Amino acid sequence: MTGFILRRLAQLIPVLLIASFAIWAMIFAVPGGPVGMMVGENATPEEIAAATRKLGLDRPIPVQYFNWLTHAVTGDFGQSLHSRDPVTKLIGERLPATLQLALVSILVALVIGIPVAITGAVKEGSWVDRLLNGWNALALGVPTFWLGILLILLFSVELRWLPSASRYVPLWEDPNQALRSLILPGLTLGLYVSGILARFLKASLVSEARADYVRTARAKGVSERQIVGHHIMQNALLPFITIVGLMVANFIGGAVVTEAVFTYPGLGRLLIQAISTRDYPLIQGCIVVILVIYMAISLIVDILYAVIDPRIEYR
Amino acid sequence: MTVQEGVLTKRRRRPLPPLGFIISLGFLTVVIFGAVFANVLPIDPLAQNIVDSLKPPSGSHWFGTDELGRDIMARVIFGARTSLVTAAGAVIIAALIGVPIGLVAGYFGGWRDTVLMRFIDVLLALPNILLAMALIAVLGRSQTAALIAVGVAGVPSFARIARAQVLTLRQLDFVSAVRGFGCSSSYIMFRTILPNILSPLMVQVIVLSSVAILLEAALAFLGVGVPPPTPSWGEMLRTGKSYLYEAPYYAVLPGLVLTLTILSFDTIGKQMSRALDPRSGGGTPGELERAGP
Amino acid sequence: MLHPVPGSTGAAPPLLSLEDFTVAFAQGAGRTRVVHGIDLTLQRGEALGIVGESGCGKSVTWLAALRLLGKRAVTTGRVLLNGRDLSGFSERELADVRGGRIGLIFQDPTSCLNPILRIGTQIGEALRLHRGLTGKAAEREALRLLDRVGIADAPRRLRQHAHELSGGMNQRVMIAIALAGEPDVLVADEPTTALDATIQAQILDLIRDIRRDTGMGLVLISHDLGVIADLCDRVAVMYAGRVVETAATQDLLGSPRHPYTRGLLAALPSLEGPRVRLTPVGGTVPSPDAMPPGCAFAPRCAYAEAHCGNGIPVLQPAGTGHLSACRRLDALMGEWQRQAAREAGRHDPVVQDLDWPNRDRQRELSA
Repeated sequence: MTGFILRRLAQLIPVLLIASFAIWAMIFAVPGGPVGMMVGENATPEEIAAATRKLGLDRPIPVQYFNWLTHAVTGDFGQSLHSRDPVTKLIGERLPATLQLALVSILVALVIGIPVAITGAVKEGSWVDRLLNGWNALALGVPTFWLGILLILLFSVELRWLPSASRYVPLWEDPNQALRSLILPGLTLGLYVSGILARFLKASLVSEARADYVRTARAKGVSERQIVGHHIMQNALLPFITIVGLMVANFIGGAVVTEAVFTYPGLGRLLIQAISTRDYPLIQGCIVVILVIYMAISLIVDILYAVIDPRIEYR
Repeated sequence: MTVQEGVLTKRRRRPLPPLGFIISLGFLTVVIFGAVFANVLPIDPLAQNIVDSLKPPSGSHWFGTDELGRDIMARVIFGARTSLVTAAGAVIIAALIGVPIGLVAGYFGGWRDTVLMRFIDVLLALPNILLAMALIAVLGRSQTAALIAVGVAGVPSFARIARAQVLTLRQLDFVSAVRGFGCSSSYIMFRTILPNILSPLMVQVIVLSSVAILLEAALAFLGVGVPPPTPSWGEMLRTGKSYLYEAPYYAVLPGLVLTLTILSFDTIGKQMSRALDPRSGGGTPGELERAGP
Repeated sequence: MLHPVPGSTGAAPPLLSLEDFTVAFAQGAGRTRVVHGIDLTLQRGEALGIVGESGCGKSVTWLAALRLLGKRAVTTGRVLLNGRDLSGFSERELADVRGGRIGLIFQDPTSCLNPILRIGTQIGEALRLHRGLTGKAAEREALRLLDRVGIADAPRRLRQHAHELSGGMNQRVMIAIALAGEPDVLVADEPTTALDATIQAQILDLIRDIRRDTGMGLVLISHDLGVIADLCDRVAVMYAGRVVETAATQDLLGSPRHPYTRGLLAALPSLEGPRVRLTPVGGTVPSPDAMPPGCAFAPRCAYAEAHCGNGIPVLQPAGTGHLSACRRLDALMGEWQRQAAREAGRHDPVVQDLDWPNRDRQRELSA
């Protein structure tokens, strides 16, 4: 088991190295380069020389990268060019908000996606199935930002039930306020993710339902309910786990857009702000954090898969 | 009982394409027509008329007017042009980079495969909208930047499909036969294999068009896509969102056109892949790659 | 019961019987019938073999009778278990029958077991459903069952998964699951087809042993007459969705009364050199949506005449407890008897091979 995890980690290293190098190299894209970033475009030659030395830009490229990397590994991405706050602090403030949104959206996706998948699989080929397929196509095809706008129009502008702009209120401080802020963004993002979830889970359920062991279960006298809930579901969840990584990618992309729609103060909006103000250390920090989260989840999913499926040998 | 009674034979008929496919094709024809002939039409997406700002849809302005009194329908039509040009450019870039990578990786295998696919893994290490945003952060905000960013985000799906196709084709007799003639590797790859994998690649072009349009709109919506005043659907949604109380149609109508365009591409892509492989339920391989807003 | 079941007048009803049973599959707008009105009975403790080429409807008949084919399969006629019609049963009652009164095992045992559940869990499920056993009691019983089906090291096996066991062992596990509900009859659908010849013999021996101990009935479905001859008291030969001949095993093997059965017997491979004339049945089973008129076997039949195409032959007596559905039955019976008389003293292709058990053993040895 340990060996399996180590091997998976080793596979990630080249990807992480190349990606981090590309992210680090971004600072050279700033007008005036990293020095201009530090001192502004109207600096005197003395200022530039001082900054160059301070940033270590007179040293060889690999050394510069290595310096950045060692700092990045310890969570030090430097200061925001804008607020002059440490990047880590800015990200630390926004991360809980995004995680909270993620929690609610995943809940929405599960609550909608799983019943849709099961109903579609059980009634495969019927008009109910076709209706649910259409629903899924909409959940996947309608852009999240337009869906978000429609939800705001309905629930905030017309019905005036919920706020159109969401604030971040920690769930444990004021669950009521937090949920009011999270319902619309959570629904927007959750609906989208439920579409992916339902489509793959249904495909997986349908193919498992044809398996021989299902006939055995029936021949044993297991009830239809238990066959779906116990035998088919457990087997269908396995291939489903492999697409969790893909779902996470969709999820992160969707979160960035959803946060923008509802002006929700999460990591995604921090990144958008950083890009529009060309705040490179902040951009680098955000992207590295997202990259690491994404890869960590993929890794955990892989390990989980190996643990759950008795057929996989991870020695 | 006679035998005929027990056997109710059914006649096989070539199935008509589903209604959704025909509607999608019709809708896209209109959008493309609008995009191509936008210049010729008697409309101006930039003409401002502050007096007429934020007017609801009417006989003279079918989609209403925006905050500067510009005709929203004219902007939607010109937005189609922005959207389709960006998407087309992006798909071409994705194909030009992705297909050769997939061909070489699949054909040679070995270290070339490892290196190229690791490179693809790096591109896939970020969700595609973030990859596009990171590229725009480097390139600066412009239509070209949006086009390149969306294109690069589409490279992995072309590379993977081309590679998978080559891996199956490589085993077939006619490829070995060509190899037996002593043809060069690049000749085999581009003259023998490529023409044979064109149909799955064409499906991917359609699927990716839908992804590219969505991605371009999302970037514009986030304020990092094609810069104003060039009309773009995403940008219109972004501005329209500020006027939800005064002018709900401002964000709704352009969004509707965008959504219908995306759904139409999806429907056509699904139909094409079903025609290509009747056994598949019509789930396009690209759906797997589809990561975005 | 409204109609007395043939052959059981006055006595207790047979354990299981099919009456004018048909199966059709929904296909597009229409239906394709694959089983055309079958009558079969199984007495308590009897072993009935069903033989035929693949596609003759032998498996479909039994799976459909227990409603294991889903909604696409439409059945008519009656399926009587102890005189009660299964088609009137609710899903719940049917679930009690499946695994409780009627155990089933199938062809490919490894894929028939749930890949992610432990063997013990899968046996335990049947014990819980049909005997109400849980916890320690269930585990004890599961161990006993594994022991009964000849699996060594049962405590360890209980904790393993199907992929860790061989095909033969998995079939033993399937038998253990079927036995868990203490059924009155075991329906075995090609139980040894996917297994090696030596393993085949072991599994057949196991089924024979269990039947001797428990008096359980058996419906053995196979394309292999050798396997069936080994275990069954009576055989029904199926062709294109109909029973074409049925008789006691020795009777059927000794004096087959249908050209198709004669073809099947002759097609059996022999290991003893060219002493047996090989006259395999040429051609293939007609597809259900392209059935010939009249006798379905006529196009492949060496004895067919023009009138075989008019009307479907019905089963008619061809000896004691022997039925055959051939339009030329009378003429052919005479011809075969004369032929047998001619070849008596010399070598008879059919009678010569009557020493079935012996023959099978030779086959196993050589495999």
